[in-house]
Amino acid sequence: MEEIGAGKTTFFNCLNEDVEIDSGKFFIEDNGKQRKMEAEDIGYVLSTPNVPEFLTAREFLKFFIDINKKRIKNEKTIDEYFDFMKIEKEDRDRLLKDFSHGMKNKMQMLVNIIANPNVLLLDEPLTSFDVVVAEEMKQMLKEIKKDHIIIFSTHIMELALDLCDEIVILNRGILEEIDKNNLDNEHLKNKIIDALKEEI
Amino acid sequence: MLKTFITSFKLQNTYRTNSIIYSIKQLPLIKRILPNSLYKNRGLKIFASIISILWEIINIFIGKILYILLMIFMALSWYKTNHADTFIHLFTFLTFAGGVLNTYMLNPTKDKYYAIILMNINAREYGLSNYYYQLIKLVVGFLPFTIFFGWTLGIPLWVQILLPFFILAVKLIAMNYMIYKFKKTNKATSENLPTKFVWGFVGICLLLAYGLPFLGITINSTIFLCISIIAILLGIYSFAKIHNFKDYRKMYKQILTESNVYMQEKANGTQAMKDNSLKQIELDTKYTSKKTGFAYFHDLFVKRHKKILTEAVKKQSVVILVIIIAMIIGITMNENFKTKTNEILLVYLPYFVFIMYLINRSSSVTQAMFMNCDHSMLTYRIYRTPKVILGIFKERLKTLITINLLPAVLIGSGLALLLYLSGGTDNPLNYAILFISIIAMSIFFSVHYLVMYYLLQPYNVSTEMKSSTYKGVQGLTYIVSWYMIQIKMPIFGFGIATIVFCIAYCLISLFLAYKYAPKTFKLRI
Repeated sequence: MEEIGAGKTTFFNCLNEDVEIDSGKFFIEDNGKQRKMEAEDIGYVLSTPNVPEFLTAREFLKFFIDINKKRIKNEKTIDEYFDFMKIEKEDRDRLLKDFSHGMKNKMQMLVNIIANPNVLLLDEPLTSFDVVVAEEMKQMLKEIKKDHIIIFSTHIMELALDLCDEIVILNRGILEEIDKNNLDNEHLKNKIIDALKEEI
Repeated sequence: MLKTFITSFKLQNTYRTNSIIYSIKQLPLIKRILPNSLYKNRGLKIFASIISILWEIINIFIGKILYILLMIFMALSWYKTNHADTFIHLFTFLTFAGGVLNTYMLNPTKDKYYAIILMNINAREYGLSNYYYQLIKLVVGFLPFTIFFGWTLGIPLWVQILLPFFILAVKLIAMNYMIYKFKKTNKATSENLPTKFVWGFVGICLLLAYGLPFLGITINSTIFLCISIIAILLGIYSFAKIHNFKDYRKMYKQILTESNVYMQEKANGTQAMKDNSLKQIELDTKYTSKKTGFAYFHDLFVKRHKKILTEAVKKQSVVILVIIIAMIIGITMNENFKTKTNEILLVYLPYFVFIMYLINRSSSVTQAMFMNCDHSMLTYRIYRTPKVILGIFKERLKTLITINLLPAVLIGSGLALLLYLSGGTDNPLNYAILFISIIAMSIFFSVHYLVMYYLLQPYNVSTEMKSSTYKGVQGLTYIVSWYMIQIKMPIFGFGIATIVFCIAYCLISLFLAYKYAPKTFKLRI
């Protein structure tokens, strides 16, 4: 959770090594050991979807599966993936440039899920989906979070309360953990708002 | 109105100043030591605004002198007609064409977009005051040069002075016509998207301007006087109409759309260019590929971008073929042409560096690669792993070299053939060197552009070009290639030097690309 302009995208860009970090470090804990995050560890879903527009949805998936072959556990067929993401049959062989914003977003999310990274960064997920799809996605995220680390940013408090195990507030470049223990949603909400206010 | 003008002038100056500081901050090395607070620095601000104002002043004159020099003065030597009259003739008809092509008012510039659309400045006051300012600049800018060139050609002084005011009048008439059209149809078009009617009119003007003197027909100062008097009377009438027109806001709303405004910046890679690149994707999904992994990915990219990849090259090849055949016919028909061709071929190899630079498609291809592919793919971390980056780099290198090779082979073998037919050379090695050096040049440019793209990746996520180093390298490539035109050297020496240079350059740059591209090839922030 954060205010607008607090630096969440910068934070994600740092983790994704798009920008050099000035200070601090991050690592991943693997079987109790700390190690450096590698490119393969990270999947990053931007708030504006980015897909190669000259490919069809099917071709894009095929390419992605090809280059991630080694890391995909129990690979499914392309159509099974489409079914999983609820992408309609008639859309599967269309060029991505003709996809709507929400559809592109679905594709972006799908390839990132297929690549099966240990850490999934989601910048403002669900905001560009319609109500039905957003609900589907939410269920899906709940499903994947069992064996993935998902870090997502949002302005929507309900979403954070609903999905997250841990809530962190980003304010003026500083991350602050909100202790969720023994609080009902109403109290937690007030606590978050207080935390956001007091730093201003 | 004056107040609006001063505000708009200040606004323009502010962002010009900022862009100057921004460019300084983009320079390699310097950017590391400069802080962001630079934009607040008073001294630097003043320095940048002085540059910006100096630029404004230079701008008043530089375009005009180039226009008169290139479009009119230099054309005089083509004709046998009286130079003074031809000058007036060309000037008059080109002014008609320029009147409809460049109205100032209907040019969708960023300045107008910022002021009118984003900042909600009064459109009429903004439009008119800036329009008048442009017109004053026009007269002030033209006057010294019409006097200077007029004086050297012996044109009467009153014509010299009248010429800029004649342009002024034509501009006003054209603008008034546009407003009249807008009032009638409620539709305004950006002057950068001229209608067929406008193109037709411009075509006729150009034909009359450059065509008639060939037939020995020009207007003279008396006819010019008559035309000017009519133009100035109509101009005064138009001025009143333009000044009293009320609906500038409505008109500008139609012209200052984002796509119009940003089309101005073709060179900078913005939305319009992206749209343009997207149009290049062949809708046909029937092209498929049997390959896998990045070969598959790249293969589809090539197949869906036939228009900008292979087809352009095919067209080039046809043109080259036609030129070569024409040359062969020329050689067999005319003895004089034959000896001249032989002489030229033996010493003009450096000239072909520039030609190879011009026909090489790599610059626009790498641009399309970014716009249509890497722009989206680079956001995927997996796409940026060394294995994938270098795998795709290799595929692309192969494609770029192959694509550019077709015209190069034609030119290389064509030149060798022409050399042989036009009388040959005493050193048979020259044929081989001629051919190989042309091929080497082609490969050099392909490698050069691709490696630069991978090492400097100049675009950010909104497809704007953010690297002054990249621009610098592009500029340098142009200057060096252009400089080669002036050099005349025998085939043997220059050819060997070129081949050695190209091989060395390719090896070094490929080494650098393999070593550094995994780090440098990412989106600019």
